Amino acid sequence: MISLKNIEKVYRTTNIETLALNNISLNIAKGEFLSIMGPSGCGKSTLLNIMGLLDAPSKGQIEIAEQTTEKLSDKQLARFRNQKLGFIFQSYHLINDLQVLDNVELPLLYRDASARERRQLASEALEKVGLSNRMKHFPTQLSGGQRQRVAIARAIVGKPEIILADEPTGNLDSAMGNEIMEILINLNQKDSTTIVMVTHDENMAQKTHRLVRLFDGSQVL
Amino acid sequence: MFKHLFKLIWNKKKQNSLLIVEILLSFLVMFAVFSFGVNSYRNYAKPMGINYEHVWVITYNNSLKTTNSDSLTLFYEGLLRNIKALPQVQNASFTSGNVPFSNSHSTSAFMYQGKKIDRVNQFTVDENYTNTLGIKVIEGHWYNKQDAGSKTRVTIINNMLKEKLFGKASAIGKFINYYEDKNKIKIIGVINDIKFDGDYQSADISMYNRYDTSAYHWMSKILLKVSPDADASFESHLSKMLSNSLKNSNIEIEHLPNKLKSYNKITLVPLIILSIVAAFLIINVALGIFGVLWYNINKRRGEIGLRRAIGASGGSVSSQLVNEALIVATFSLIIGSFFAVQFPLLNVFDLPASVYLTALGLAILFIYFVVLACSLYPGKQAAAIYPAVALHEE
Repeated sequence: MISLKNIEKVYRTTNIETLALNNISLNIAKGEFLSIMGPSGCGKSTLLNIMGLLDAPSKGQIEIAEQTTEKLSDKQLARFRNQKLGFIFQSYHLINDLQVLDNVELPLLYRDASARERRQLASEALEKVGLSNRMKHFPTQLSGGQRQRVAIARAIVGKPEIILADEPTGNLDSAMGNEIMEILINLNQKDSTTIVMVTHDENMAQKTHRLVRLFDGSQVL
Repeated sequence: MFKHLFKLIWNKKKQNSLLIVEILLSFLVMFAVFSFGVNSYRNYAKPMGINYEHVWVITYNNSLKTTNSDSLTLFYEGLLRNIKALPQVQNASFTSGNVPFSNSHSTSAFMYQGKKIDRVNQFTVDENYTNTLGIKVIEGHWYNKQDAGSKTRVTIINNMLKEKLFGKASAIGKFINYYEDKNKIKIIGVINDIKFDGDYQSADISMYNRYDTSAYHWMSKILLKVSPDADASFESHLSKMLSNSLKNSNIEIEHLPNKLKSYNKITLVPLIILSIVAAFLIINVALGIFGVLWYNINKRRGEIGLRRAIGASGGSVSSQLVNEALIVATFSLIIGSFFAVQFPLLNVFDLPASVYLTALGLAILFIYFVVLACSLYPGKQAAAIYPAVALHEE
């Protein structure tokens, strides 16, 4: 499902050159739940951003869902992200001025979907994460766990093949974190969604199929 | 997407309220400027109604000691004959003080079939008036010798007054009377409308009465149509001749084209002042929109990053910000248009509705243009935000 070959990422400023990722090669199968761990600054998020086509590698090749992405234009990349990928972030990234339902609908706005279709799909997604009674609430009226569930609903509303989660339980207490983890495991098992999760939490990582460890931009496990 | 943006702005109406008010005020000022401008242009585009080139105005005061009307008539008819005899003079006409572009007005109220017509401009003129100023008679005839001996009091009106009183029907032979005076006045002619107050003011309802011998006591203007070769030396010669004839009288000679230029300047001053105020306000609004959008982009980097992640291209992020600005402007324009349409509905300032409607359309287009121009660059900047960086910052 995701194939990374000899990925390198170098950040350059006028004086300094920082190697964020060094020769990473990774294959992630369809339906796999993979976690990435490592100390802060080791390149976990950079790797996730490259997998999510939010950032381009300095070297190496990426193939996602049987599609090489190097030559895609900005518009094609946007369409690809919209249709194939779902994102979950540690700080949720919900739009506080929109109701929960509108937040969940967001990815569908960039597709040819009717208002009724968008409403229905968003309602279904919220139902899946157990928040169908919070549709008309604003994000500021929800707890952290609820907000992250809204973010998951937004990630799955477009039925993507891959979900990329950047420390989805990082801002939550362990009970809430477990709840979120249950939802992700469920999605992986029931819908065969491929999930790549960056985490600092060893317990959460143990619940996934495979663990990849990074250190100073290199894969150590 | 439009509904989504509308909802987003509506939910942030408190934050957007100051910008909405600012755009609203600019719109109202622009509406005033355009109303003024459109009205001035429409007036400018209409014919002047007279040929003012090579027309001079002689101002004098009656310094003759005699009060005898016959003596006065004899004297002034002789004076006019002498003036007309000059080779450079093509025509000459006695008239009341309200000559074109003089800012002098004399008005009266009239009655027609029980209906009162206020503020009808009154002119006292002689038989040479139309030839001197190149006025066209469009119905009936101008004054002639027979009218002087007519038992019935007669008058000539302009086309505007004719349409107001009689519509498309003929005015000739119809009678009107002064307000609170039952003596009937017969209309014998209709002339074209004349823009007496310059290029940028409209013509007004007017009535032209024939002078009588008693008028020489107070008449103070002579209009002269001169040949193109009438120069300063001729003017000097004319002035001397008049001074010799009208002893102890103050003689002043002015040229109608110069009077028109001066009068136009006076008319345009308010428009220029209003335009300067509007320009400052628009610059202020433009900077305001620019600043707000710039601030929004920095405040909403996380949201922009998120939208890029979930499927928005750089172009759609850019157009979202531009559309948001246009929707905010639409809120202001809806409120502003509500106030603007009251002007034609309540007939404020007595301008035609089409002036207000044209001004409304122009003001709306102008505001949209300013908002669009000011939001393009911030929109472009938003499109350039790197989603990976923006999402990491939050």
